[in-house]
This record gives sequence, C-alpha cells and structure tokens, in this order.
Amino acid sequence: MTDVEREQETDYLEVEINLLRPATPFMKDHLRVIWIGFGVWVITTFGPITATRIAPDLMTTAMPVIGFPFHYFAIAIGAPGAALLLSVWYAKRRDAIDEKYGIEQVDNEALDAGDSAGEGAAAADGGAAE
Amino acid sequence: MIPSSALMQADELLPEGLEIGFKLVPAIMVISMMTLFLAVGFVFKVADTDDMWVAGRSIGNVENGMAIGANWMSAASYLGMAALIALSGVYGLAFVVGWTTGYFVLLIFLAAQMRRFGKYTAPDFVGDRFNSDTARALAAVTTFLIGFVYALGQARGMGLVGMYVLGDINNVIAIPGLSAYQAMMTLFMLITIAYLTLSGMLGATKNMALQYVILIGAFLVGLLATGWVSGYSTILPQIEYGMLISELGNEFSDPFAGGSYYLWIATCFSLVFGTCGLPHVLVRFYTVENERTARWSCTWGLGFIAVLYLSAPAFAAFGTDLYTNSEFGPTYGDPGMSDAAADVIVVLAAQLANLPTWLVGFVAAGGIAAAVATTAGLFIAASSAISHDIYANIINEDATQRQQVLVGRLSIIAIGLLTILFALNPQAPIAALVSFAFALAAIVLFPMFFLGLWWENTNRPGALAGMTSGIIIWFIPMLNEGQFGLINGGAGFGIEFLETWMPAIGSALIGVPLVFAITIFVSYVTDEPPLRTKQMVRQCHSPDPMPKDKTAAQVVAEKNGNAHADD
Repeated sequence: MTDVEREQETDYLEVEINLLRPATPFMKDHLRVIWIGFGVWVITTFGPITATRIAPDLMTTAMPVIGFPFHYFAIAIGAPGAALLLSVWYAKRRDAIDEKYGIEQVDNEALDAGDSAGEGAAAADGGAAE
Repeated sequence: MIPSSALMQADELLPEGLEIGFKLVPAIMVISMMTLFLAVGFVFKVADTDDMWVAGRSIGNVENGMAIGANWMSAASYLGMAALIALSGVYGLAFVVGWTTGYFVLLIFLAAQMRRFGKYTAPDFVGDRFNSDTARALAAVTTFLIGFVYALGQARGMGLVGMYVLGDINNVIAIPGLSAYQAMMTLFMLITIAYLTLSGMLGATKNMALQYVILIGAFLVGLLATGWVSGYSTILPQIEYGMLISELGNEFSDPFAGGSYYLWIATCFSLVFGTCGLPHVLVRFYTVENERTARWSCTWGLGFIAVLYLSAPAFAAFGTDLYTNSEFGPTYGDPGMSDAAADVIVVLAAQLANLPTWLVGFVAAGGIAAAVATTAGLFIAASSAISHDIYANIINEDATQRQQVLVGRLSIIAIGLLTILFALNPQAPIAALVSFAFALAAIVLFPMFFLGLWWENTNRPGALAGMTSGIIIWFIPMLNEGQFGLINGGAGFGIEFLETWMPAIGSALIGVPLVFAITIFVSYVTDEPPLRTKQMVRQCHSPDPMPKDKTAAQVVAEKNGNAHADD
C-alpha cells in the first residue's frame, strides 16, 4: 500500500494525536516539514547572538559595502528575513503535501455560487472540488 | 493602591528635547485618522456575528495579512522598539527578532489547527478543550490581565506623544498634582474608551487593512524624510543605516552592552512564545476562509510586520545620531537620553531633523492612532472575557443579552480606570511593559494551546494545574522587581538572584518549560480525557477540509450520531 492509499483508509477520529508519535502517513510527512523548519528556525533565531557570544571578534567584523557589523546585520535583518523565508517555504511545502494526498481546501465562494467545478488548481485525483 | 510617592516622581516623565506645545495641524491629523477608522468601520458595518462570518469568507490572504499587521502594530512596535534599540543597542534587537520570528512558530504549530477547532476566543478554546469552567475562567482572567498590562504600555505611549501634539495642559488650566504626561495619558485613555464604544458597536474588521496602510505609511514616510533631510540615507534607509553604526558609539552596536547574553535569550524566547499565546493574535486565524488561507495569511502577516521591524532600527540609528549632535546630547553616558525621550525617539528624530511640523505631526499621529486602536482591541478582548466567558458562562447562565452588554460595558470602564491609575507612573518603558504581557501569554496560554492541540491526553487536571502555577510563576518576578508598585512602595522584593536568572521581561524562559512539565506530569498521573475530547483534537489534525461554519466539536458530535454535543 502506498502512503496515499493508507492515508485514504485512515479515520482521523480513531488515531492518537501525539506530537512525538505521528500516526498517519500524512502526519509523518507534515511533521517532518515542521521539525526541519523548526530546527532551521532555532539556528537562524538564536544562532547569531550565540555565535557572537562565542566568537565576538569574528562576529563584529564590519561588512564590506553596507558597513554593518556582521552580528548586527545577522540579528536585525537576518533573523526576521529568515523567518519570513521559512514561512514561505513551509506554506509551499504544505501545499505540496496537500497535493500529494489529494486534499482540496473548501472554497466557500464556490460553494455559495453553487459552482461545483471549483478553482482550476491542480487536483491530484483529478476530481472536482466537493 | 498607588503609593503616594508615585505622583511625586511623575514629573520625571518629561522627554527632553521634545517640543511640548499645542500644534493645530498634528491635532487635526490625530482626530482625522481616528475619524477615518470609524468612518470606514461604519461603511463596512456588520449587523450580527453571522454577517461577520460571511464577510470573513471574502477576506483573503493579503487582506488578512494586513489585518494581522494592523492588529500587531501598537505603541510598542511603533515607538517602544526604536526606543529600546537606541538605548540598549543589540539587546533591543531581541524585540525585533522575538516579535517577528514568533510568527513562524505560530504558523507551523498552531494557525491551521486553531482554524479547525473553530472557536472564537482563547477562553472558549481552553474551556471546551479541557471541559472545564474553571479552566475557562482562568483563561479569561489571564486574557483580562494581558489586556491590562499590555494597555499600560499603550497608555504611556499616548501620554508621551500626546504632549508633543497637545502640549502641557497646565499652561491652559493648572491642575494641581497632574503633570503634563499624566494629563495627556488620561485624556487619550478617555478618548480610547469613547472610540471603543463607537468602534465596538460597528464591530467591523474590514478597516484593519486600511489602518495598516496608514500606520506603516506614517512610519515609513517619517523614516525616509528624516534620513533624506539629514543626509543619512536615500531610498533604502533599512540598509543604509549600516554605514552610520560605527559612528554611534559602542552602546549602540556592542553585542552585550545593553544586556547579557542570557537576558537576550530569555527576552527573545518570551516574546516568541508570547506571540503564540496572545488571544488577540490567534483570533485572526478563526475568521479566515480555510486552513490554506490561515497559513498563507500568517505568512503575509509576517511580511507586513517585517516592513516595520526592519525599519525601526534605522529610525533608532538616525534618532541616536541626531540626539547626540543636538544641544541635548550625547545619547549615552551621564545623563544621557532618558527613558521618556527614548520612547518618543521616532517623533523626536523627525523633529530634530527639522522636518516641517505637519510631517512630524503625521508621525506622532500614527503613534497615537496605533496605541488607541490596539488598546481598543485589547479592551474588547478583555471585556468579552469577563462578560461572555465569566459572567454568562459561569456566574449567570441565564443572563440576558442586556445583562451581558451591561457587564461588558462595566468591565471596559473598570479596565480603563485601572489602566489610567497604574499608568500615572509607569515603572518601565513601553516595550518592557508590553513584554510583561507577552511573558504572561507565553507562560499561561501558550502551553494550553500547544499541548491541547498536539497531545490528546492533556486533560483537565493537567490544564488547571498548569495554568494556576503559570499565573503564580508570572507574578513572582513581577513583584520581585516592583512592577505595579505594590510591594515595598514600588521597590519590590529585590531578590537579586531571581532578577538575574528570571527577569520579568523574559520570565517565560523559565516559566514555559515549568508549566509544560507540570501540565504533562499531572495529565499522566490522572485519568485520560474522555473520548469525545480526544476526537475533537484528532479532528483538528485531519487533512480533510472542513467547511467554515463547523467546529471540530460539531464534526465529532455528528460522527457519534449525537447532534447536540456542542458547547
């Protein structure tokens, strides 16, 4: 059985939810992305200040052209920028997982209009939006 | 409750260098900004919660992202952050990092699951997830406390910037015992309460996108003009201030000049997980179309917030240099820039750059509008916690609509008066006051949200033990450092060991793991929660799309053939 088939047979009301023990293929895939993202986030958020604590001389070197001391740049611009990029990365990866398992979000506007065709976004199972 | 010495010390709250006096154009700007918010709210007015739901359906990624940004932009982001960066250097950057990167944690762990749970308020979530009115009440009390502490920082911001716009009231009518700051703070808090009664009635969230555009516009125009006129920068001050850093003195850029490594980590940690526990932030995810929108609008929201947060250090750098080179300088050393002057550094920088009064006024008006709008939102959350979660759900289950509205109004007045009273002599700068609220949210609410959603065996005794100990844990460093002025006339217990290792500003670094441990331990040794509760948690993680008007509890009830299990 593939992940996708096993996932389709899963009734979520029957599986245990435990962050450390993902019970379904979908949750395994999803949590892998979450933990990778979280790991990178810990490094980009707390890494620069920690590195500055360990190697202050190296980290405070002035950067060419823009003139920032490196630690200042890594903290003030690097960390927020990294969090933003990580968010985009996560949202995209999660969209890809949705596509793998043929999950389509409910489109309320389409429902309101009685339009069963849904939006033209690629549906993994080729079916129309429910 | 306020120690008598408080009023005496209050005249220290006078930002040196700031031109204090009545200015017509800025005064008109403050009024027109707030009138505009009300007018747009009126145009998009909604009749009842059902309409709000439908309106919510049309809110897409970008618009909800802007609403997240507007919600977020308080006096702490607009004024307080630049202040801390100017005075405390790299330590101040912990606020830039904490208040942005926290959104990623919120995104990966909570946003979509919260959307699936489908409840409107934080106390609702806690009460339903743990089947307990006591837990609901604890969450409601916490929400009230968060609103109050958060609002203290906003009140301080309003008072300080208000002096620039309207001047010293004592020059018009002398009010004995009331300093210029106190008069302005009281005045703008009263305006906030008035604004609240109007905006609360309109109840629209549509205009938050507009609020974002106006507030960020005022901030960026001020920054660009200040940088341009003073010759610091051309079109990208967010990067160009790098060239200035070496001239600003060691205090600005030396890694640990403004605070130790431990304090930096503790503060940043506290702000990150406070972001994930703040009721008024999470509520933005209940109102989106679907989980995908929840994810992408969180991402957009972080983007919109980052615009302000990448600009604040530039404003701080310009302000520091302008102040040092002015007649009031230097910024560092003795006496140096005061906390009060730093808290208005955004306005002060624009003024010292000799920008025209209307432009400085625009920046000041943005700061006041940010504070008023945020305070209004906080007060609504706090009063609904009292009227809906405590009064209607627990004290008087047969409460009529009228009684609920009355209790809601009374609690707004109560929290307003409480804020005015304690903000007469605030013990800390804006950003610090607000970060106390973040520590509270991180310690008490974040573990409940996180464990509640990610570990189905978290149960009622665990949650009650965790929240009760969390509230106590939060109070210990607060009282130790003399916040609220309740202990030893504002001096606090002053235990140095505690101040070093569990500072109030970053108490979550100790508090969050403790509350996690207590909640998990108690949940282990007591009975597992009922199956219905577990299924509710499971439903939050199912990838199957959920229609917008359903809660996880309803899905579970339908599945079990019991249509009446909701609430």
